[in-house]
Amino acid sequence: MIKLYFKIALRYLFKNKMYSFINIGGLAIGIASFVLIMIYVAHEKSYDRFLGSENVYRLYMDYLEGDTYEPGDVMTYNASGPELKSMFPEIEDFVRFYYFERMTFVYDDLILEQPIGSMADASYFSIFGYPLLKGAPEKALERPNTIVLSSTLAQKIFGIQDPIGKTLKAHWDSYETVLTVTGVMADLPHNAHYRNNYLISFATEKTWGIFNEQQLRMNFNMNNYYTYIRVAPNTDIDQLRQKIIASDVEDSVDERHNLEHIEKIHLYSDKPYEVSVNGSATRVNFLTAIAFIILVLSWLNYINLSTTKSLERAKEIGIRKVSGAQRPQLILQSLVESTLINLIALGIGLVLAYLILPLFNNLIGQDLLLTANSLNDIFPYLAFVLFGIVLAGVYPALLLSSYNPTKALKGKIQTQTSGPNLRKGLIVTQFIATIVLLIGTLMVTKQIKYLQSRPLGTNLNQVVALKGEIISTQSDSLVTQSFYTYKEEIERLSFVENTAVSQTYPGDSFDNLSSTKGITLPNGIKNTTDIFYTYQAQSDYFDLMGLEWVAGGTFTPTTQDNSKQVVVNETFLKEMGISAEAIVHKNLSFWGNQEWVVTGVFKDYHHFGHKGKLLPMLIRQRRGISNLLVKLDQKALSAQGVSGALSQLEAQWKEQFPKSTFKYTFLDQNFQAQYQAERNFSTAFQVFTFLAIFIAALGLFGLTSYTVVLRKKEIGVRKVNGASLLDILHLLNIDFVKWIGLSFVLAIPIGWFAMDRWLQGFAYKTELSWWVFALAGIAALLVALITVSGQSLQAALANPVDSLRDE
Amino acid sequence: MLLELKNIFKWVQSGGQRVFLLKDINLQVQEGEFISIMGPSGSGKSTLLHVLGMLDGFNEGEYHFLEGDVHGLKEKQRVKLYKEYIGFVFQSYHLLDELTVYENLEMPLIYKNIKGAERKAMVADSLDKFNIVGKKDLFPSQLSGGQQQLVGVARALIANPKLILADEPTGNLNSQQSTEIMELFQQLNQEGVTIIQVTHSEKNAAYGSRTINLLDGRMI
Repeated sequence: MIKLYFKIALRYLFKNKMYSFINIGGLAIGIASFVLIMIYVAHEKSYDRFLGSENVYRLYMDYLEGDTYEPGDVMTYNASGPELKSMFPEIEDFVRFYYFERMTFVYDDLILEQPIGSMADASYFSIFGYPLLKGAPEKALERPNTIVLSSTLAQKIFGIQDPIGKTLKAHWDSYETVLTVTGVMADLPHNAHYRNNYLISFATEKTWGIFNEQQLRMNFNMNNYYTYIRVAPNTDIDQLRQKIIASDVEDSVDERHNLEHIEKIHLYSDKPYEVSVNGSATRVNFLTAIAFIILVLSWLNYINLSTTKSLERAKEIGIRKVSGAQRPQLILQSLVESTLINLIALGIGLVLAYLILPLFNNLIGQDLLLTANSLNDIFPYLAFVLFGIVLAGVYPALLLSSYNPTKALKGKIQTQTSGPNLRKGLIVTQFIATIVLLIGTLMVTKQIKYLQSRPLGTNLNQVVALKGEIISTQSDSLVTQSFYTYKEEIERLSFVENTAVSQTYPGDSFDNLSSTKGITLPNGIKNTTDIFYTYQAQSDYFDLMGLEWVAGGTFTPTTQDNSKQVVVNETFLKEMGISAEAIVHKNLSFWGNQEWVVTGVFKDYHHFGHKGKLLPMLIRQRRGISNLLVKLDQKALSAQGVSGALSQLEAQWKEQFPKSTFKYTFLDQNFQAQYQAERNFSTAFQVFTFLAIFIAALGLFGLTSYTVVLRKKEIGVRKVNGASLLDILHLLNIDFVKWIGLSFVLAIPIGWFAMDRWLQGFAYKTELSWWVFALAGIAALLVALITVSGQSLQAALANPVDSLRDE
Repeated sequence: MLLELKNIFKWVQSGGQRVFLLKDINLQVQEGEFISIMGPSGSGKSTLLHVLGMLDGFNEGEYHFLEGDVHGLKEKQRVKLYKEYIGFVFQSYHLLDELTVYENLEMPLIYKNIKGAERKAMVADSLDKFNIVGKKDLFPSQLSGGQQQLVGVARALIANPKLILADEPTGNLNSQQSTEIMELFQQLNQEGVTIIQVTHSEKNAAYGSRTINLLDGRMI
């Protein structure tokens, strides 16, 4: 019997092509969007799951700001792990990482710069349950000067040779060491927040020469290490946290140790000095909400269309009932039909999702795959889809099967019996969702525009940062001299307007920016609580970056390596509570009573864009090898082109430093990249809003085509009695206008609430302007009217004789 | 006796007043009769037919069908009863457009839970009997009105009912097609099927063995 039902349903679908298309199309788009978003959401939620990850936590530092402790730094002290482990038996083990943003490896003639790696304790493999392909997990990082490579890196350096036991050189910031390969680990998966490409044994810090005696000693002064701990199963984490806080192991009221679950880091952590840019639970939640809205929209569409369509099928139900059909049989038939439609839509939806995945990846800047595995990951959600499919079929089934056969056969089942309130409710719900999504899209776009248009306080145009690891047998001072010779040489190039040297620049990572505290100001006040951020630059840096002076000026030029000159910004003054006059040309001291002279106060600029607050900054003078910033001359450049200029800069660099790497970064592009996540989010938001509107419009289109059929007689009678074209159009469209008006009123508070919450995540936020809401409402109304009007017009133009003759 | 109506009243409430559709109908139908119900529009012909066919209820009176009391039955049992014993023929045929002739004939058998092989045999018999074997794979829209009604009659008869209820079966047909359908009814009646038809035409009524005249819901 079921087989027969399927056959009939299929025939019905083929016969009513338009209806089938709208119905299946809407559902398929809804399902495809849902699947795509949920795959992304599942990916974002899958971070840092490995064997034993449920018991792994990251330590971080809370800093006292005012009266409360705020997450202040993800980096901890080299003593944090060992001390806490010895104090609390529930901490079974710890691993410390010293992070390298990049490292240059030399093997024979090969010079290879590799991003992201660490020095790590030997306990790494007992905490992070990622597989070691070659070598012994307990021993690989035990001895000093040993290294474990990822399989990709091992292959890059050693090709097909067995890397175990081979030695290579590592250069970091002109410190060199020799390392023996003791292991090859599997590449870390994409969904790991800390993706080490190599691990150097922690013991190497004692032989490398990067650190001085003071730094090597176990201390609670310099927090430069990421520490992860493994706790005993079933440890009460809140209790452990309280115990750690109570222990005051770092012996300071201004800060305290805290801990967080490793699985939560990617979505919930956005602290200073994160090892990588994390995801955002807010964005994931918003996208999840959008996914569900779109799916529900397409179901509402389905219910709406099939109940409307059921009027047309009343006669069929009558005949079947007269032929002896009982209600359960009719319900079953209807359910078979809706299941069939939904299964077809599910199939098309999955194929559609598969086809648009590359586009979607592009949109959100991800590298997701649609495989049996990823479908398995979102299985609970797919189950939800299936559940909804059944549910969406139930109402029309109950409605259809309830028709009285004599009435149905006489064609007396009219719109009113099938609940116009329900249909109105569905349409209103659809448009509430649509308008809320429109408000969201407009607000997200507006916020990003706002962030990008805010003045940065610095000029990044045409500035390129050059950096390379110089491998040389010469002494450090000679290399530094060559570096400055190169600087002078390129300054003479026609397309170079200016050059400068600095350790970091706006939009660069946290890695090159130090945070510190404990300073004695010129007025004798000792401030030990307020954190400030500091980096090194040369005197020419400020001019090139277009920074302005509030008082004083740049450093006095010097050939000394470290002339103990500093400048500070306005936020620094504000936080320290001191005026510009009281600090300029005066001495202050920090870092163990070292004395520094303040030569100037510069206007605030946004080092990390407008997502976060302004940071208190202190910039120190230092002559050394760092980023070489080159400001290109726009006019001179046009003749040669940017790529020509860059290759000339590289050629001269290689001439000066034959064995070295060369890397360049455009500051403005790099800075914009900070907003990439928001921009991707905005694009995704736009696309899915468009799809939601499309689905809603499809539904409205289908609905009108039937309302028009149902009201054909009414239209005919009215026309015969003198109604004009406009009267008829008014009659047919006024309902939709009313419904959308109602939707609009209901959508405003929802949209306002949601976007207000989203904006909370920004330090600088645009207003929730009234016109955003108005625009969303008008757009929805326009879409609805355009959708409805074509058919209304057709109905209004029809000759009444044709419609009345049927009687 | 096949069925008996005793003092049947049926009314609807309209503007605070009872509007009577059927008033005090008393009717006995023996097996093998061919009854025509006649009367002007609105006299209650179709309503009476629907009550006889158990598609519609009534407000007062008794209805006995094969010695059972219809008025005391629940909907489910009523469906069971008419499914077993009654076949319907309509003015506008009421074939399902999505189904072929074969499938239209098969439909009532499915609802009677008759097994596939038996269904096949019964449909084949019926196609044969009504001489529409060649049309079995066509859809209703591909048939003439007369042919569609032929299928309608065949469908009504397929489950071997005791009683055929026909609501103006020739209303949409031309005179030649009408004659054919009425001759078919006559033949079926001679084979033992009880038939009750509603008709406007004296000529069609003449095929029957007895005529009932209705006016304003009352038998005259």
